[in-house]
Amino acid sequence: MIQSQTHLNVADNSGARELMCIRIIGTSNRRYAHIGDVIIAVIKEAVPNSPLERSEVIRAVIVRTSKELKRDNGMIIRYDDNAAVVIDQEGNPKGTRIFGAIARELRQLNFTKIVSLAPEVL
Amino acid sequence: MLATTLRSRSLHLSSSLLNHPWKPVLSGSGHTFSSSAVESNSDRSILDLNEIEKVLTDVRADDVKVIPAKKHAEWADYMVIATGRSTWHVKNIAQALIYKAKQKQKGARRMTLPSVEGQEGGKWIVIDSGKVIVHALDEKARAYYNLESLWTSDASKEEPDQDLDKAFIKIRPKRNNSKRPANRGA
Repeated sequence: MIQSQTHLNVADNSGARELMCIRIIGTSNRRYAHIGDVIIAVIKEAVPNSPLERSEVIRAVIVRTSKELKRDNGMIIRYDDNAAVVIDQEGNPKGTRIFGAIARELRQLNFTKIVSLAPEVL
Repeated sequence: MLATTLRSRSLHLSSSLLNHPWKPVLSGSGHTFSSSAVESNSDRSILDLNEIEKVLTDVRADDVKVIPAKKHAEWADYMVIATGRSTWHVKNIAQALIYKAKQKQKGARRMTLPSVEGQEGGKWIVIDSGKVIVHALDEKARAYYNLESLWTSDASKEEPDQDLDKAFIKIRPKRNNSKRPANRGA
């Protein structure tokens, strides 16, 4: 359940550390974003000397949410944090490596690039 | 007719994928997903490895590498990496693979095409045909993402763990020793 003003961790080595969601892409009046949704976010905290800077506006894909993700077979996945991966306009990830476990729903939502970079797919 | 074929397919799926107990349900009812066709076909890839390699040599993709990815990711069998000389070339590689998939299923009632990602940009296109994933990149993107090192070097992943173990073994007793006399003295 990511809405605007939600702070998210960054699950890649793009150089950003913390994001704040400012807009959910796709619909005009949707309240919450879930895993696999693209959001517009602003970088709240960045690693020093990295290409991304504080207060830069970027796109990101949500990869982990503390709100549980339900699968049709009854399986529920819930992470400890809300995390996103920074992407560019074309959908290529900004970072080259991704950290932490990622849900396989992202593959069906056409984020195969992120899934193939991830160390673990749940 | 259509319903029966669907049903038989799903039955077949659930039997063939018993060792992945929760995959069939995901694919069977996840019709809202765009690439559910790919997922439901995952026991039998749309394109197999030989065909992909042939297409890639035909379109003259450079530096084709096939990496068995079972160790890294259990959701795919093989990762194929190919380099294109320009964005147009990368796009053409993707188009050639889609064309091949179409040719292969010519006359079929339902065609299942591989899901393609990143076709507008042409820097990194992923063709996901079930168990074989083809990555077509331009030279810059290939050097930037360095996918080979990610999927081939398993040794480098283990080394830090070993170092950590050693570090714990070495450091812990020392710390304990240094603290204990101080506590006893006090």
